[in-house]
Parts: sequence; C-alpha cells; structure tokens
Amino acid sequence: MSSKVIIIATLLLIAVSFSVLFVIETKNHNYDFDKSWTVVYFDNPRNSSLEFMIENHQGSKTEYAYEIFVNDQSVAKNRVEIAAGAKQKIEPILDLNKYRAGSENARVEIDVSLGEVKYKIYKDIK
Amino acid sequence: MFISLLKLLLAVPFVLILPGFFLMLAIFGTKNSKISFFERAVLIVPTSLLAVDFLVLLMNRLMIPIRGPILISGILLLCFAGFAIFYFRFKKKPVTREVPDEKISRAFEFTTWQAVFILISLFLAFFFKVTYLSDSILPAATDLGHHMYWSQTIVNSGRLPVYGVPDFIIGEHIIFAVINLLSRVGLMTAMPSLVLLMINIVGIFTLAILAGRMFESRKITTLAIFSAGLLYTVSAPQARYVSGGVVGNVLGDALIPLCLYFFYRALAERASLWAGLFIFFFVGLLYTHHLSAFVLIFSLAAVALLYLVLNYDRLGKIIREWFKIFWQPFPVVMLIASLIFLVLVFTPSYFNGSAIGQATGEPSKITRAGLDLSQIENNTGSARLFWGALGFLLLLFEIRRRDYKYSFALAWAGILFVMSWKPGWLFVNIPSDRVGNYLFLPFSLLAAFGLAAFLAKFRKNSTKFLATVLLLILLFFVVTNGLSDSSDALKTKNQFQQIVETYHSAQYLAATVDTQKDILLKDHINIAADSWYKLFFMKDYKYPLSRGLLSRYVDTTKSRETCTRDMISSPDSDQARMCFSQTGVNYVIVNAQLEGTDFEKSPEFSKVYASNYLSIFKRN
Repeated sequence: MSSKVIIIATLLLIAVSFSVLFVIETKNHNYDFDKSWTVVYFDNPRNSSLEFMIENHQGSKTEYAYEIFVNDQSVAKNRVEIAAGAKQKIEPILDLNKYRAGSENARVEIDVSLGEVKYKIYKDIK
Repeated sequence: MFISLLKLLLAVPFVLILPGFFLMLAIFGTKNSKISFFERAVLIVPTSLLAVDFLVLLMNRLMIPIRGPILISGILLLCFAGFAIFYFRFKKKPVTREVPDEKISRAFEFTTWQAVFILISLFLAFFFKVTYLSDSILPAATDLGHHMYWSQTIVNSGRLPVYGVPDFIIGEHIIFAVINLLSRVGLMTAMPSLVLLMINIVGIFTLAILAGRMFESRKITTLAIFSAGLLYTVSAPQARYVSGGVVGNVLGDALIPLCLYFFYRALAERASLWAGLFIFFFVGLLYTHHLSAFVLIFSLAAVALLYLVLNYDRLGKIIREWFKIFWQPFPVVMLIASLIFLVLVFTPSYFNGSAIGQATGEPSKITRAGLDLSQIENNTGSARLFWGALGFLLLLFEIRRRDYKYSFALAWAGILFVMSWKPGWLFVNIPSDRVGNYLFLPFSLLAAFGLAAFLAKFRKNSTKFLATVLLLILLFFVVTNGLSDSSDALKTKNQFQQIVETYHSAQYLAATVDTQKDILLKDHINIAADSWYKLFFMKDYKYPLSRGLLSRYVDTTKSRETCTRDMISSPDSDQARMCFSQTGVNYVIVNAQLEGTDFEKSPEFSKVYASNYLSIFKRN
C-alpha cells in the first residue's frame, strides 16, 4: 500500500511541477511580462529604406524622443508616445541629396531617447 | 497557455507511460512474484522511452513519415500488441500464473515511517529542483539549444537526421520531437526541461530499485531515495543538468542503474528473462548516450571481472552458468533484434573507429588526466562521499564472494573512481569531470548501505538515547552538507529579460535576412540563449556562425580557425577584413553593453538594430 502512495504522490508532484514551471515559462516568454526594455530597428536592413520601428517593452505607456541626423547634421526631431507592449513605425521623408555636401555616401543616424538612455541606429546610404 | 499545458499533460503520459505499462503487462501480467508494484511502476517510464525510440527508428527505416497521427497509431499499435501478448500469455491460464503474496519481494513494501520519510525527501527534492528551475526555465542553455535544433529537424522533415558528427545521438532527440508532434507544444518552451525533470526524478527511483534488489532491504531502498534524490539535488548532474539540457547524461543516469538492475537479477537469479531485458535496455542506452554506454561497459566488465577473480576456483562453472542464462530463447531473440536494429535499422553516429579511438588510449589533454580527490569530493558531495566510502569499507569487510551484490557494488564504485581519478590506468581518454559526474550513482547506493549498516550496528551496541542523539547529529551533517547546493537555488537571479531580447533579435533577423545570401555571426561568449538562434532559421546546424569561448581558439596540437573570433574582437583589423570577405559574414550580433564600439567606429558597418542588450551590425 505504501509503495502505491509513494508512486501516486510522485505522479502528483510531477504534474504540479510541470504546471508551475510551464506557467512560469509561458509568462516570462512574453516580451512584456515583468520586463523593461526598448528596441529600435530599421524595418528593412537590406535596402536604403529609412523606415524604422520603436517597440515599447517598458511596462507602461512611454514617450520617446527621436532625432534624425544626416552626416552628423540634425535634420528632424520629434516625440512619439507608444502604449505598453506596442510598436510604432516611423517613416522619415528626407531628401538626402540636400545633405550629402559632395560626399558619395550619406550616413543617416537615428537617435531614440528615453530619459538618459539612447538607442542609436544608422545606415550608410549610397 | 492552459490548453497547451493540458495537451502536454496528456501527451507526456501517452508517450512515457502508456507503452511501458502495456509492455510490462505483456512481460509480467497483472501480478507476478518476480516484480513488485513499485519496481513495475518505476520501469514503466524508461521502458516507454526506449520503446518509443525503437518505434521511431523503425518507422524511419520503413520510410514512414514521423508525423503526429502516424505516431499516435504506432504507439496505440504498440500498446495493443502488448495487451494481446498479455492476453494470450496470462488471461488464458490464470490459475497457473496466480502468485501468492508472500513470494513478492518485501524490499519495496515500506513501513509507514519509511513511506513518510520517502515522501518528505521527494517533496523537498521537488521543491528545490522546481525553485531552481523556475529561474532557468526559459530556454537558454547552450546544450539544450543544440539538441533542440535536431529535434526540430525531425519535426520539420518527418525523418531522422544524419548528423555527420559523433557528438549527437539519436535517442537524445526523438522523445522531444515525438512529444512536440503529439502535443504541438513547441520545443522552445518549458517542455524539454520538464521532460528531463521527469526523467531525472525517475532516475532516483531506478537507483532505488537497484539498491532494493541488491540488498533486499526496504531501509536501504528508503535511504537510496534520500541519498540520490534529496542530497545535492540541485548541483550537477541533477537539476543543473536538467536546466542545462545535458540530455544524454540525464537519460543515462536513469538508464545505467536499470541496466545494472537487470544484469544483477539475470546473474543472481539465473533467469533469462532479466538477461533479455538487460539487452533491451543496454541497446537502448547505446542509442541514447555514448558516454553513459561507455561508462556502463566499463562497469559491467569490472563487475564480471571482480566476481570471477573472487571465485577463481569456480571459473569454468561460472562462465558456463552465465552462458546458460544468456543462451535462452528470450535473450537470444533480443540479441538478434538488437543486432538487426544496430546494423540494418539505424546505426548510432558514434559507431565508428575514429570515435572509439578518440575515447580510448592515453589521456591526450590535461582535462582528461583525472580529477584530484578534492575535485572528486566536490563532484560527489562530501556527505555522500563519506557515507559511500564507509559503505564501501563495510561491504569490503563483510564480503561474501559468492554473493553478486558485493561484486556489483564494489566494482561499480571502484571502476568509476579509477576512471575519474586515474583514467590513464584504464586507457580512458575522455574529460575526467564528465566521468566524475557518474560517481554519484554508485556512491548514492553505497551511502544508503553505509548509513543503514552503521545505524544498525550502533543501535545494537548502544542505548536508545545515544542512538537517537547520534542519528540526529548524523542527519544534521548529512542534511546541512547535502542541501548546501539547494540553498543556492533560492539565491539565483534569472536572465529572462536578456533571453527574450535574444529571441527578439533572432526573430527580427529571421524575418528580414535572406539565409541563402546573408551570413550571420553572433557572440556566444556574451549573449544569453544564443544557441537557440539556430532554431529561428533552421538552415544548418552551424548557421549562424559563433564566436566561441576564447580558450577554444588556442590549441597547441593543431591550428584552429580564428575568423569567428577576430571578426568580433577586432572588426577593423586586416585579419578580420580578410575573414569577412572569405566567410561572407555580413551581419554581426553582439552584446550592446560589452561590445560594439569598434563596429560603431568603423565606416564599413551600419547599425540596424539596437536594444538595451543587443546590437546588430550590417556590413555595408
């Protein structure tokens, strides 16, 4: 009889452990659960498109400031408010020829700021 | 989430309990003096595991696609076959098979207090393991990432992979693919770790039934569960190996005691049934983990040799007796079936001369030259080593040469100790710490015997009061030392945020790059969960490329490629430039907090992705 109790208790403990750990993993697999981070990236890194995304995983609605530089010259700045867990696509419209100043390449840099933290991405456009 | 959990809770018993249950029924019927309820229950999971492995190997050989519905049919067919055999063997002649209760072994009929002690040990073991795993349950471990790549390959292709390298063994991957195909619960979830946790728990019981059968004492069975289950329950090769995804070791630790269990019973009871089952489990282990199989072969050889040496005056008689046990229809059929599987159905990837040659001979590296005694103590655990050594000595002093249990316990512990301490003596050329991880098995068994024997002797020669005081002091030492690693489980800090940022970056690249043209390089040193990157692409085992641990680039015996290191460490150097053009690497993923400054200074790179943890640079 005692061995049956031990086997049944073990099966129950396995089932409970499975459930607890499965729930912990699933919750934490979420980009937003109990986390605080931001990501900025070019929508398409393979071409010369300047569309970029800001994803807010800070845990609450957040206002980001962004500034666009071409060859270190500030050409645009703005602020955007993004809900928790949401992402915002930004499509800058720039006439790069205006800022090239004779050089063949134009380095377009996007600085996204959240308080003191800065997220910088850039592309060299021919 | 809860639907997935429910599917998992249904799929796991379907795969890991049902086939074993029916196979046990086919072999032993409903009640049998040869096996207790406890042993039968313990054997169900490993039997299921191997039966499903063999089923999938056969399906693959017959070109039957490995898909969910076909697997369900296959497993049900296996269960039906088991039931049919049971029906024809046992139901038709119930009277002849009826067994009186008193003939069943009492080694597993625990008293109430023993049952309470076991339940407390198990509860605490679960508690510490789950607490530790709760901080590492998000898939991130390097080994597990590598293994799950191969399981995902099975899921995607419906075929078993051709590895091309001896490092991976098919039995490490089938079970996860099967559970994924049946439950649809992804491989990049808690599922693989949960399956490993279950096998790890089963491993405690497999050692307990071996101890129970060898010593025919429920006290020792109880203490074996305590020693193997609760002591050092977090450190390697326990929960740490579960979360680390050291699949082969976890499976091997559960299967090795079973192989010895069947081998012991075959020899001690002179019964061919156990010999046949020994062959089944031994071949199953060959398909599961090369190192465990290697360790087992040495252990079996040591056991046989010690027994023969102890009984040198009956040498011929013993060998004839062993031959008789194995030269019976059931073991012979199992042997032939095994050979057919190994030769015609699926040959394990490490079955070749060079892989075997690499593992034997003089130790070729310092890491293979053996552990010193303090390393062995760390590996096995002080309390376990102390009581194991005491058990070893007590057994040695009371040795009865004709009794197999002495040869089994002493030779198993002895050979593993020598393999870990002085591997050169045995021409073993594998990393010593990996062999040392198996020491806990014989030492848990010996510790259980040592504790039981010591307490019994002391109680006989002392007052009840003194015995109780001593017991409490002993328990205090054993528990405080044995649980010292478990206290670490409560202090760990998870890396969940870094891990999901790694997932996010991989997802981003998988959605944007062209894997036919773009070559990725990531930094294994500083990025958590980076080995899981390959599951987002499923292009090739070596895609993306990785900068490995820096020590791997230094080898005095042969030249190693250094491009993967140089392209991250100094991207602007001439060497790195040459590497970029040779390898075609055009995306580099690095830890934003530690690396990236050199890339930002270089005019050759754009930075296309920036998060708190990671940066992705694209070569212009």
